Amino acid sequence: MLLFFLSLIVFVMARLCPGDPLRAWYGASVDRMNEAGKEAARTSLGLNEPIWIQYMEWIKNLLHGDLGISFKYKRPVLEVIESAWLNTLTFGLLSYVVTFVLSFALGKFCASREGSRVDRMICRAGVISGNVPTFFLSLLFILFFAVKLKILPTGGAYSYGMKYNVVNRLWHMVLPVSVMVIGHLWYYAYMIRNLLVEETRKDYVLLLKAQGIPRKLILGKYCVKNILPPMLIIMALAVPHLVGGTYVVEMVFGYPGLGSLSFESALYKDYNMLMALTMITGVVIITANYFAQVMGEKMDHRMKEDEFVEEEEEDGEKEKTISVYRNPGYHTPK
Amino acid sequence: MEKKKKPYLSIVILAIILLSSMFAGLLTPYAPGEMDDAAFALAPCKAHIFGTDTMGRDLYTLVLYGGRASLIIGMLSALIATFIASVYGTLSGIAPKKIDHLLMRITDVLISVPGIIMVIFLQAICGKATYLSLSLIIGATGWMSMSKVVRSEVRRIRNSDFILSAKLMGGGFWYILLRHLFPTFFPSIMFMAVSSIGSAMITESTLSFMGLGLPLTEVSWGSLLSMSQNALLSNQWWLIVIPGLVLVVTLVFLTELGEYLRGNNTRLHSNI
Repeated sequence: MLLFFLSLIVFVMARLCPGDPLRAWYGASVDRMNEAGKEAARTSLGLNEPIWIQYMEWIKNLLHGDLGISFKYKRPVLEVIESAWLNTLTFGLLSYVVTFVLSFALGKFCASREGSRVDRMICRAGVISGNVPTFFLSLLFILFFAVKLKILPTGGAYSYGMKYNVVNRLWHMVLPVSVMVIGHLWYYAYMIRNLLVEETRKDYVLLLKAQGIPRKLILGKYCVKNILPPMLIIMALAVPHLVGGTYVVEMVFGYPGLGSLSFESALYKDYNMLMALTMITGVVIITANYFAQVMGEKMDHRMKEDEFVEEEEEDGEKEKTISVYRNPGYHTPK
Repeated sequence: MEKKKKPYLSIVILAIILLSSMFAGLLTPYAPGEMDDAAFALAPCKAHIFGTDTMGRDLYTLVLYGGRASLIIGMLSALIATFIASVYGTLSGIAPKKIDHLLMRITDVLISVPGIIMVIFLQAICGKATYLSLSLIIGATGWMSMSKVVRSEVRRIRNSDFILSAKLMGGGFWYILLRHLFPTFFPSIMFMAVSSIGSAMITESTLSFMGLGLPLTEVSWGSLLSMSQNALLSNQWWLIVIPGLVLVVTLVFLTELGEYLRGNNTRLHSNI
């Protein structure tokens, strides 16, 4: 249902763009065509039908597993995407995992030393790192590591002729992944830190302490267990945030993935491509959200009850706590 | 328990940045478009404290003038986002349950599209970028999470007696929104509104960097950074580092200010 909405919105928006898809199909030779020629070309590409017929056509093909032909590459969209999606998947997954492993460690570290000088210093540094725009950070890294020190490649996914060399590919991913991680790390580490800090204020912690359980164990075992459900929500909501980030980073590093493709297709008005990419992104994100919901309910049955409470009148407070985890303001990459 | 310190430092620094870009004409020795053939891609020196770019323009001047575009777009789009969020959130908050659900589902869908892709779409629809169109687009893509907060706040207070009495005395939608609802929910979105200035500036600079933002004749911090693609190859670090650093400093202090506005949460003592 949500996907259907999404596809409709994106479809209409994409078709409203004033740019000419003919240019993507025929390249510069468009300028030499006369009006009649253009008209004929439009009809043959099915661009002259009313917008809703185009949409029905698209949905029909989608159900047959056909996403149409890329206007720019003149190949089926799926074929073009096929060569790119694995790149993005490895890149995105790697940054996602590294970001969360590190931010969990950092959050826990800060929470255990809450209020100390180390904690305050890390907080300060984190605020700064979180405020550096992704593309600027990428530029700085390229400037320093690739141009100045010449130890890491400036971009791309592999060196010439080393397409199947895993080490070489990983080597090319070092810079993009570290940009992604640094850009997003603190945002999530801080949330985890605050969740843990809040958790330590609860009564059961006092009880555990009175029982003589060591500090480390209280924090590492009992508190962590209790913050897992909200953490899952955070992690699911992080997916669109990080996906947006990967797209920009891919663009800057010229990494051949879905992000670079989607920018290209937006520039060239490659409708079918754009639709396919947006739908794929949408599917990933909506699945992630759904997954988090189900997992959260499995782990903490109170969440299910929350749903019912929400139906009641006084859902104000509850929603507010959730919205804290949502990105303040924009979900643009930082 | 203890109150947060007032963020004097951030206020002062933000004021300096704001004022210096407002009065850029008085503070810079060169005109913004002035090209000096002799001073071509100079590293920072006495005459050009930030250096010059590849067209011989003084970077210090460009940064000050560029601040205008970035700051105006940032603030304007934050304003637009806050406006849309207030109206949409209020509508959803006072609507019957079904419509409310529908409206919130729509925001969920919109949130799930990565913002940067939406911005690119809308930018393509609008065609040529101007200050206003850019701010409208960035504002129009950044109101969703704010409106969720507004909605829950409105739901909390919509049955209060003072709202009822205002309604009974014939207050219309806009009147109640402005006079009664807005002052109540504004404190809870103020933090978001301030931090959305920063995110709008990031979006603007990302767009300009990719060549989708303001035309090259309009200088902004983002478009200054977009020149840096060439600077990378020729190792002119100041063209990348300086405008970016100014941007980052502004963003950091904006966040600091927002953090202060987030309000003093009642801090209990740690039990651990």
